[in-house]
Amino acid sequence: MNQMRERLTWLFNNKYAQLGLVVGLLFGASYMQGGTVQILSFALVSILFAQSIYILTGMTGQISLGHAAFFGVGAYGTAILSKTLGLSLLVSVPLAGMLASLVAFILSYPAGRVKEVYLAMMTLGFGQIFLEVAREWTSLTGGVMGLSGVPSASLGTLLILGAKLTTQDYFRSLLLITVGAVFFVRNFSQSRIGRSLFIVHNSELAAGSVGIDRGRTKQLAYALSGLFAGFAGAFYAHLVGYLGPDSFTISRSIEVLVIAIVGGLWSIGGQIISAIFFTLLPEQLQIFTQYQFIVYGLILTFTLILLRQGIGGLLFAPPRFIRPHLRAEAKRQRIPSEFLRSHANSTQISVKDITMKFGGLVAVDNVSIDIPAHRITALVGPNGSGKSTLVNLISGVFPPTAGRVFLNDADVTGRSDVAMAKLGIIRTFQDPRLVPHFTVRENILLGAHSQMTYGWFAAGFGLPRANQQERLALQQCDSIIELLEIADVADQAVESLPYGYRRMTEIGRALMARPKAILLDEPAAGLSDVEMSRLAEVLKNLKSFGITILLIEHHMDFLTDLVDEVVVLDSGSILFRGSMLDMRKDAGVIAAYLGMEGVDAVDGGEGVAHA
Amino acid sequence: MDFFISLVIAGASVGSVYALVAVGLNLTFWTTKTLHFGQGAVMMLSAMSTALLVRHGFSEIASIFLALALVGLMGVVVERIAVRPALKTTGSMGWVIATLGFGIVLQGMTARFFGSQAVAFPEVLFKVQDAVVIGGQNISMQYLAVFCISVLLIVVLETLTRRTVLGTAIQGIAQDIELAVVQGLPVNLIVSGSFVLSGILAGIAGILVAQIGGTVDPAFGFELVLSGFVAAVLGGMGSSAGALLGGIILGITGKLVGGYVSTAAEHGIAFALLVLMLAIRPQGFFGRVEVSKA
Repeated sequence: MNQMRERLTWLFNNKYAQLGLVVGLLFGASYMQGGTVQILSFALVSILFAQSIYILTGMTGQISLGHAAFFGVGAYGTAILSKTLGLSLLVSVPLAGMLASLVAFILSYPAGRVKEVYLAMMTLGFGQIFLEVAREWTSLTGGVMGLSGVPSASLGTLLILGAKLTTQDYFRSLLLITVGAVFFVRNFSQSRIGRSLFIVHNSELAAGSVGIDRGRTKQLAYALSGLFAGFAGAFYAHLVGYLGPDSFTISRSIEVLVIAIVGGLWSIGGQIISAIFFTLLPEQLQIFTQYQFIVYGLILTFTLILLRQGIGGLLFAPPRFIRPHLRAEAKRQRIPSEFLRSHANSTQISVKDITMKFGGLVAVDNVSIDIPAHRITALVGPNGSGKSTLVNLISGVFPPTAGRVFLNDADVTGRSDVAMAKLGIIRTFQDPRLVPHFTVRENILLGAHSQMTYGWFAAGFGLPRANQQERLALQQCDSIIELLEIADVADQAVESLPYGYRRMTEIGRALMARPKAILLDEPAAGLSDVEMSRLAEVLKNLKSFGITILLIEHHMDFLTDLVDEVVVLDSGSILFRGSMLDMRKDAGVIAAYLGMEGVDAVDGGEGVAHA
Repeated sequence: MDFFISLVIAGASVGSVYALVAVGLNLTFWTTKTLHFGQGAVMMLSAMSTALLVRHGFSEIASIFLALALVGLMGVVVERIAVRPALKTTGSMGWVIATLGFGIVLQGMTARFFGSQAVAFPEVLFKVQDAVVIGGQNISMQYLAVFCISVLLIVVLETLTRRTVLGTAIQGIAQDIELAVVQGLPVNLIVSGSFVLSGILAGIAGILVAQIGGTVDPAFGFELVLSGFVAAVLGGMGSSAGALLGGIILGITGKLVGGYVSTAAEHGIAFALLVLMLAIRPQGFFGRVEVSKA
């Protein structure tokens, strides 16, 4: 099974096979009947449309039950521009795509504020609003009567630069554009931006912790998704020559969702196969049309539960999110891990009189601490003493109720987590927040998001600028992987790995984000003794690079030889600060935290999640 | 003025049904934080089977009971095959899509086996022309009955959740399902029960709306469940009082817009309200923002 998968994946990604298929179809179109060409064209439209779901739902995790609206904006857009205003297709189709993209971009503002079920409802409502507008704005859309006479190849009314396009010509143009779009999306998924969509999908907090702006990331996803849906709609319009509101109901939104889910939400290849299948099936199998609705319903009910990865997961090896040739090129050169030194610049974090209240609960009560550069500071205390809250405050997850945060002498109070990450304050989480189906390497590379600067356009077209930045980041990534001694699992999906590796991966991601200071929330929890001593070595290395380190930890043996200073929190206030040795003798600490039984009683004590 | 009042009355009546739908959605939202996206098909199924049973000679009361039993059963089915497995394996995408799919199956099967034509709905609650005169205003008995039944059901349900042991158990599950399991509450049973009750409420709503509209067809419930969403969101998910208020506001607004602006805008206004409310105040009029540590 796996061997077959590998072979199919190889074939699917083989340049010559791809070229052969495209050239074959280009020439073959001349020998096909008009009807066949028409159906194949519909399949291409479906593939284009499915790409838009891949971007929004597959990558970004934003459900859409109103995608027919973007499709419809594209279709009506080009129809009205070309028919009513007489614009050339070369102008009207791109404009229609951009119009759909703009609509999606605008929708992303309200949509960005809600999640999950609310988002499903909102997009459902949005789709209905579009439908009402299409039905009622008769002067523009023709209302329920529809818009006929849209320039179309099958009617022989499609002219480009004065030349008449036949159905075959239209199919060929559409084929080239679809192939281009598929490559664009593939490259995009293997870029910094594509990867950032996945982390926003899996953990918005983790995205923020490495400087990925969730809001803007989602807006981009909506805009791009709208663009592809709009293009699909525009090509659909010129394929059929007639548009009526009934073509853009919830049924179409559901159809494209069915195609994407059956294909596999993360699999471009699976979605292509699924799009072709669902376009050809009703044509070939008359009986299917009668049961179409029921079949779609059954598929929706069971696919995500029974066959989570869809056809793509069945037929192909899991997709990877780093371009393979860049990975190969990056391997040729090594960067020593000392490169981390160049970003650290003796950053001291100070909090002054900081207080955090959640409703009536005071989690952190008027705390002042300096976390000096070139030191490892540990933050200990019982569960609920405010350790994680303090880390959240410093890293900008939420602003403090009162008090200030300083980096050296700069006041950074109230900056967002994204802004703090860009200032070099990088944190990890109590429970590692990674993209489960990404490899260790791909997860670590997420940390390089902010250091790379290329945009979606360079990503999709694989421009040299993008490649160069990716290569450099990949080399740094190799060096971090070596430092953490996780090279042997670097290309395995993290969901298949033991807990310790996930912690290491998250630390790797933090290192990749060019930290000046690193805040680790219980990094040793769940690690074996071997892993713990390796972690201690890594932390000492980082200290020698000049990175300021703060760690929350319960494991006293782990801390003893490692930390320079320990701060004990209790009920939101500082109980003690000083050396480990003094802490063990401190009467207040023993009473409040360690209990009367002594130090060892708290070893490995792991708390209920309170981050 | 008469026109205005008649619109308000019609709006309040329809709106109370929206509220009933919303309360049904709230029930499952309490127990599992899920909504049945195929609830529209459940409403259709109940109205459709009532109409068909009556046509086949069953008494009206028996037909309604059979129809409600059927949709109650569908509640168990959707919970077992769509919601429970999806909650175990995937995030929210799983159950949204699975319940949506389940609704489509119901709708598709009805269309396949009974045709997609509209079926006349029998007059179970008074006759279309029955009316009472209150304060010089002709009020349709059907509207009045629909309003009273819906409000009564909502009030009874709200009282039960507040005053009974079962209600307390449901509230406990809503607060913290894991704790409820640990405390030994029959959580699975209560969750299934909430789906049954939710289905029955939707079924009643379907019958009431079909009574006012006079016909039912396979696509009948879709806009209705959207209106139920709007009512629930306006009032704040999970709040019965909010759902009632949200439903009535939506019903009256819709009718007024339909009467004075255009009937076309009547549908659009509900969705516009939905998108606006979600964007501005997702917790609704009555909902409270949860305070939590990240």
